[in-house]
Parts: sequence; C-alpha cells; structure tokens
Amino acid sequence: MTPGRTPLLALRQISKNFGAVEALVGVDLDVHAHEVVALVGDNGAGKSTLAKVIAGVLQPDSGLIEMDGAPVTLPSASAANRLGVASVFQDLALCENLDVTANVFLGREMYNRAGLLQEGQMETETRALLRDLTVRVPSIRTPLRHLSGGQRQAVAIARTVIGNPRIVVLDEPTAALSVAHTAEVLTHIERLRGMGLGVILISHNLNDVRAVADRVEVLRHGRNNGSFRGDASHEEILAAITGAGSPSL
Amino acid sequence: MNAIDSLRDMITRNMRQSGIMVAFVAIVAFFAILNPNFLSPTNLTNIVLQYSYILILAIGMLMIIVAGHIDLSVGSVVALTGAVSAVLVIRNGMPWWVGVLAAIAVGLLVGAWQGFWVAYVGIPGFIVTLAGMLLFRGLTYLVLNNASLSPFGGNYYDVANGFLNGLLGGYGVDVFTLVIFGIAVVGYGVSQWRTRRGKIAYQQTVESLPLFVVKLVIVAAVVMWFGYQLASSRGLPLVLIILAALVIIYGLVTQRSVFGRHVYAVGGNRHAAELSGVKVKKVYFWIFVNMGFLASVAGVVYSSRMNGAQPSAGNMFELDAIAACFIGGASTTGGVGRVGGAMIGGLIMAVMSNGMQLMGVPQSMQQVVKGLVLLLAVAFDIWNKRRASVVR
Repeated sequence: MTPGRTPLLALRQISKNFGAVEALVGVDLDVHAHEVVALVGDNGAGKSTLAKVIAGVLQPDSGLIEMDGAPVTLPSASAANRLGVASVFQDLALCENLDVTANVFLGREMYNRAGLLQEGQMETETRALLRDLTVRVPSIRTPLRHLSGGQRQAVAIARTVIGNPRIVVLDEPTAALSVAHTAEVLTHIERLRGMGLGVILISHNLNDVRAVADRVEVLRHGRNNGSFRGDASHEEILAAITGAGSPSL
Repeated sequence: MNAIDSLRDMITRNMRQSGIMVAFVAIVAFFAILNPNFLSPTNLTNIVLQYSYILILAIGMLMIIVAGHIDLSVGSVVALTGAVSAVLVIRNGMPWWVGVLAAIAVGLLVGAWQGFWVAYVGIPGFIVTLAGMLLFRGLTYLVLNNASLSPFGGNYYDVANGFLNGLLGGYGVDVFTLVIFGIAVVGYGVSQWRTRRGKIAYQQTVESLPLFVVKLVIVAAVVMWFGYQLASSRGLPLVLIILAALVIIYGLVTQRSVFGRHVYAVGGNRHAAELSGVKVKKVYFWIFVNMGFLASVAGVVYSSRMNGAQPSAGNMFELDAIAACFIGGASTTGGVGRVGGAMIGGLIMAVMSNGMQLMGVPQSMQQVVKGLVLLLAVAFDIWNKRRASVVR
C-alpha cells in the first residue's frame, strides 16, 4: 500500500490448521505505523485465528512473521508483548473486581525497591493516558464492575497502550456496544493511530470499519480475498466477503 | 464535601465493610450489657489468647479464598506441625526453637505439596485439601503414635501464654504495654495522615477533615482503652505481638504488593489475569505455601497454648477460619475480601463464643447461633451485591 516503506508488521504465507480444518491458508498481511487496517470476513473466515497468531496466543504451522523487516517468532503472548504487540480480545481480558488503574497496569505494575506498588505514580499515568484517549470514567479508582460496557472497552484499549506498543490488535471491540459507545470506541481507535501506532481492527460491522480504517483486508475461508482502501464502497467489500463474483472460490 | 455528605458517602461506599463493623460493635455491646465481666481486663486477655490461632489461620485462608480456592486441611496441618514440634521438644528434649523451626519447615512442605497439586496438576483446591485433611490427620496420628504428648513448659509454653510485663514498671498497670499501644496509635495516625496527604496530592476525594479527625480519635480511644485493659491485667501477650506483626505484614502484602494485586486479579478473572501476563500457577502455588506457613505458626501457638500435642488437635479449625473470612466480607466467588475484614469476622466469632460461654449458653446452642450468623452474613453479602447491580 505504501511502497518504499518497510511495514511495521508483515505476515507472509501464514497457515494454521486445527486438525483437518484449515483455519488460515497462505495469508499475507502488512501493517504500517499510523495506519488502521481492518480485517473483515464472514464467521469462520479466520479473522480471530489471525489475530491470535499476531498476539502470540496461537502459533502458525507455517509462514513468516516480520517486524521492521526482520523475522521474529511470537511463541507466547508475553513474547509478543515484549516485541510491542498489544491485544484486546473479544472476551474482555479485564478483572471486574479491580479498579481502573489496577486493570490498566495489570501484569505490569510499577513497584519500588521494597516491592510495594507505586499507586500514586500509576494513577498519574492512568489519568494522563485516559485523557490522551479521551476516555471518561467516574474515577480511576472505580471498580470495573461499576462501569458501562463502553467504558470497560475503553479501559481495555487504554491498557494496551501502557507498554508503549507499536501494534495494537482489537478483536471485535464494538461487538456488544450501543451506538453511542461504538462511536466513542472508534474515536479511541483514531487516537491510537494519531499516536503513531499500527492498529489491526477486526470487525463484523462494515460501517465501523469504513469509518476508521485506512485499508480493509478481506479474509474468506482462511485466505486473502481482496484488499480495499478504507473508502471503498460497501458493496465492493461485501462482495469480497461473501465471495460473490470472486474468482478465488 | 461537608461532613454529613462525606459520612453518608463513606457508609454507602463501604456498606459491606462498615456493616460488619457495626455488627461487631453491636455484638460487643450486647454481651457487655448482659455480662459486666465481658469487658474485664482478664476476659479481654482471654479472648486474645483463645482465638489468636484462628485469626492467624484466617489471614492465609483469606488469600486463598480471594484467589478463588478453599483450604479444608488447615486444622490437620495445625495438628501435624504441633505434633512434630512436640516429638522433637518433649520426646527428644531438643531446645524450644528447634521445635518451632521444624514445625514451620513441615508447614512449608505441606503447603508446597498442596500448591503443587493445585497449581501444576490443576486439581481444585477443595479436592486437594480435602485429601490433605485426611492425609495430614493420619500423619499426625503416626507421628504421635496415637498418644498425646505434654508438657512443653519453658520458653515454648511462653509463646502462647507469655506476657511482656513490668519491663518499664508501673503500679498494677504495665507501663510498657501502654507505651507499645501508644506507639501503635501514633503510627496509625501518621500513616493515615500520610495516606490522606498523598490522596490529596493526587487529587483523589478524601473525607472531610473533621470526620477524618473524629475517626482517628475514636480508633485511638478504643485502641488505648483496650491497651489499658491489657496493661491492668497481665500485660502484653506475646501472641498479640505475633498477630499484630502478621496483620500488618499481610495487610501490606495483600493491598500494596504486586503479589497481592495478582492474587486479587486471579480471583477476579483468571483468564484475564493470564492474558495480562500474571503467572497464575505461581500465584496458586505460593498462596498454598503461605497457608502452610501460617498454619504452622498457628500450630506452634496452639500446641504452646495447650502445652502439648494431641492427635485430634485443631479439629474444625478450617471451618472457623473460613467462616471468619466470609463473615468478614470475602466473596464466595473470589476476588473480594480484605485481611482486616477477615480479622473482624474472626473477632465476631471469638466474641460470640466467649460471650456465650460466659453466659453459660450450652455448646449445642452456641453452634446453632454461630451457624446462623455465618448464613446471615453471606446472605447480606449477596443481597448487597444484588442491590449494587440494580443501581448500576
């Protein structure tokens, strides 16, 4: 898409089987900095599998993953994290009993030499982070169970930014949200792009996708089935998703 | 925020915690009115001595319950660690500290054993510790050859029965005890003040200044009164020092350390914690090792208090410790509960047992009452949660 620039993340010929089921077959994907790439496709097209490969949760059977042009392996979620890949999965990975700050820093707590948590510092950073993403919550000490679905999603997105990632993978971030909360989450995604990150957005909703994506990659039966600019028409993308008029299958 | 609003906010926000405080005060008042001896120096000292080991167990149990497990074996572990210590000290004439160290070592081994099955084999804690309850009870009988051993005497006996008294003199009222309580009160005040300063610096809401001061003064008055009662009886019990140190340390571990944060995270949403990079297996392993450690401390205190080891020691202790946690606000589904709450829950059990004993209520009736209190406390918790979710 942007010739002459090494993509931040490049997937080449990724394949993944679950027993006899071919979830991914030779999938290619490029993501650049300052770019929102939407990954669309019908149920079972392999979107979530691809997201999990990028997040390090699943390992591909074959294929190459490159970051900044250099081949890497992503054997675990924490390895992917170290390389700068942060993910928000469909089933929100948040602890409802903990407050906003604790969730944002979960697994990466700041602590002093005595091993005690530095709550004040974590709060300051959380507040700044939520401000950058224009997230509004009642208080950063509110337990998650007292927040709305949209606010929780916003916290989930905010927590991805803590480790200074370069790539953020969002798996169906707007699936369970009302219209107003969806709009908020889309704003957060634009903020992530504004911060210079590469964003991979997985969604069923073509309206959401066309609202924020710079590029739309279609998966069908685990294969690439077309690449479109973010302003491509609804019908063009839909045709690629359903395979109507497509020569590939 | 004015004082009244602030007070109302504090009460509604901490309904569960403050509810239990109110219940505790009410129960104490109830027994104090019915029996003038209840708040006497001797009886207060007795309550501390009689229930210290349950409170020690409740600290470890709380962490296990918060992480979403349960430990049914602690009573047997109390017996086993006390038995090992008794065999070494009483039968083999080793010094008292060898017994203490051996008991703690056994506790750590037991904890590591149970932690291994829970964390790395993936058997629920309920099953592992149910097996442990039988296993360690059986081992206790083996270690003791089915017979009781006594007496410890000497320094070992002093662990649970000793007092610090007369170090600084005083006529009938031990000055040293008062000084220690004074230091504790000042320390509490300073730490509360610093927390408040910190909250203000980070622009968090705090209760209004008059309310804050009133709260401090009430706490200080109650603590100093309790200290005075102890001082005018036998002085400062050694057990109370052990217990206070454990409460402070575990308060920090659960609320302010990374490990404690992870225990709550694992109990709240194991899957999410794992995806966030929390090492869930390690957390499970170490909470059971920690429970083993605390059970061995309780084992030492209990065997010292009984001045010997019996094969049936510590029977049903696990249920008292679990009840203390649930009365103190721990959630049955994990992720919620505090050490302070479990201590109050344990004290409620302690005060009720002691109060009913003073009144001559038969053992059978005591059990009925304690069972009902546990049921009501958890029912209140569930009702409170439902109310909170309706508000949202």
